[in-house]
Amino acid sequence: MVRRPPPLTVPAALARLATRRPWTGLRAIPERLLRVGPDGVSRRFTSRLHDERVAAWLGMALGVSIVSAFVTGLISHYMQHPPGWAQWPSRPVNLYRVTQGVHVIGGLATVPLLLAKLWTVYPKLWQWPPARSLTHALRRLAIFVLVGGALFQTVTGVLNIGYWYAFPFPFTTAHYWTAYIVVGALLIHAADRWPATRRAVMTRPQDAVGRRGFLLTVAAASGVIAATTVGETFAPLARLAVLAPRRPGHGTPAGPRDLPVNKSAAAAGVTAAARDPEWRLTVTGRVRRELVLSLAELRALPQHSARLPIACVEGWSVDGDWRGVRLRDLLALAGAPADARVRVESLQAAGIYRTSLVSARHWHDPLTLLALDLGGAPLDLDHGRPCRLIAPNRPGVMQTKWVHRLVIT
Amino acid sequence: MRVVVAVAGLALIAWGARGIAAHVDAAAWAVWFAGAAVLHDAVLVPVVLVVGAATGRLPGPWRRATRTALVVGGAVTVVAAPLVLGYGRRADEPSRLPLPYDRNLAVVLAVVVLLCAAGPVAGSVTGFAGKVVARRDAARRGRRR
Repeated sequence: MVRRPPPLTVPAALARLATRRPWTGLRAIPERLLRVGPDGVSRRFTSRLHDERVAAWLGMALGVSIVSAFVTGLISHYMQHPPGWAQWPSRPVNLYRVTQGVHVIGGLATVPLLLAKLWTVYPKLWQWPPARSLTHALRRLAIFVLVGGALFQTVTGVLNIGYWYAFPFPFTTAHYWTAYIVVGALLIHAADRWPATRRAVMTRPQDAVGRRGFLLTVAAASGVIAATTVGETFAPLARLAVLAPRRPGHGTPAGPRDLPVNKSAAAAGVTAAARDPEWRLTVTGRVRRELVLSLAELRALPQHSARLPIACVEGWSVDGDWRGVRLRDLLALAGAPADARVRVESLQAAGIYRTSLVSARHWHDPLTLLALDLGGAPLDLDHGRPCRLIAPNRPGVMQTKWVHRLVIT
Repeated sequence: MRVVVAVAGLALIAWGARGIAAHVDAAAWAVWFAGAAVLHDAVLVPVVLVVGAATGRLPGPWRRATRTALVVGGAVTVVAAPLVLGYGRRADEPSRLPLPYDRNLAVVLAVVVLLCAAGPVAGSVTGFAGKVVARRDAARRGRRR
């Protein structure tokens, strides 16, 4: 009887490929250059902080930071692009201010964690051979995706809040989609490294490596970054915010109208139209009767006050004392249905933030105003004269300025 | 369980990549994605390693203090760099980047350096004082004898 070799099936071939050691003809040269040990790791890196336990602690902290940035980022995204099946509540008033503050200030504080983690595991970049097997190669590819993605999110985020649009793509779109890639790669990496991380964290080391000092230094770096920026959204620490891209009382007239401006009337190209005495507010669409109101007629309607923040997607926020007409009063006057949505349109001719959508839950809220005054005086041109939307728990880009039309849909 | 998590991770990566391909200039995005990793691995970390090796010659407490100051100061500088460079300033929007960030960064770095130096300075002062006290005590004991 002749013994035939087993037929080569696809899974068998893949398994053989996965365990095959790669070609090793000239491997002596890089191995000597890198002083590769028997475990494939270079002995060139002498610090004992290039260590599994340090990597484990930093990794867990980074995991928490990235997940928190992902969740708060999704909140901000879906608030601006409501999915239809869910409605964002109008209360608590300061919720968005907090979630976006966590996103931006937390993201900044993550920078030292990320850099420290990558430094700790840097010797692994130079392991030799670069890929021991197919699975090892795939694992390293996943880590490249995680590292590239995490650095991409950090760099674009830091540049964006500094208004330095050095990248040739729209920030929000790229930052949003890359977030899924980062979190996906993080899941793969965490599933892969969880047993080793658990082991490293749960065992008490018997060596005298100064891990605690190193980790405390990294935490201090995060702390200094947070302390010098968080005042742009947390008023009690405003005086400490020396490295924040925004600061109330700076670049704005001091006093009750001390509110930063993201887009000036000049930049929006609305200066003439906003000053025009012929300006009218139109309420149209799904209404029983269309309204066309002059500024004087708007002021003749019942006026209400609200203390609400401008909470910017860039992380800064400032309270303002607004006064104007309740949106729900205007809609009642026009006879809009209770489930209606309002498209608020600016005088701006173009731009992605020219209009914003107000859901039923938001316009029913008595705090939602078409504001005419800020801090006891008529709105400045740059704050949206003659009238602007101001609503609770909503990003600043959706507090449309220079309003001239409400379309009920 | 781990397989389920890994598959979910792959699905998220695929979803994100599909979004990038559909909505962003994928080539420019890839340059920034890979470029960030390459610049980090080929420039930033080698610089850190060289600085680490250079500070290795300092005596113990000063080495630790110097490295702490460099880690904290370096991280703060990286994050503040876009503000200091100020490419985002606009004449008609003075509330954007309204602060003198070069001066502020210098002040923050100076505070970091002072705080980090306080440890070894105090150490050498108490060490010196301890030596003085010990010498005086030894002299007293000598006289009494």
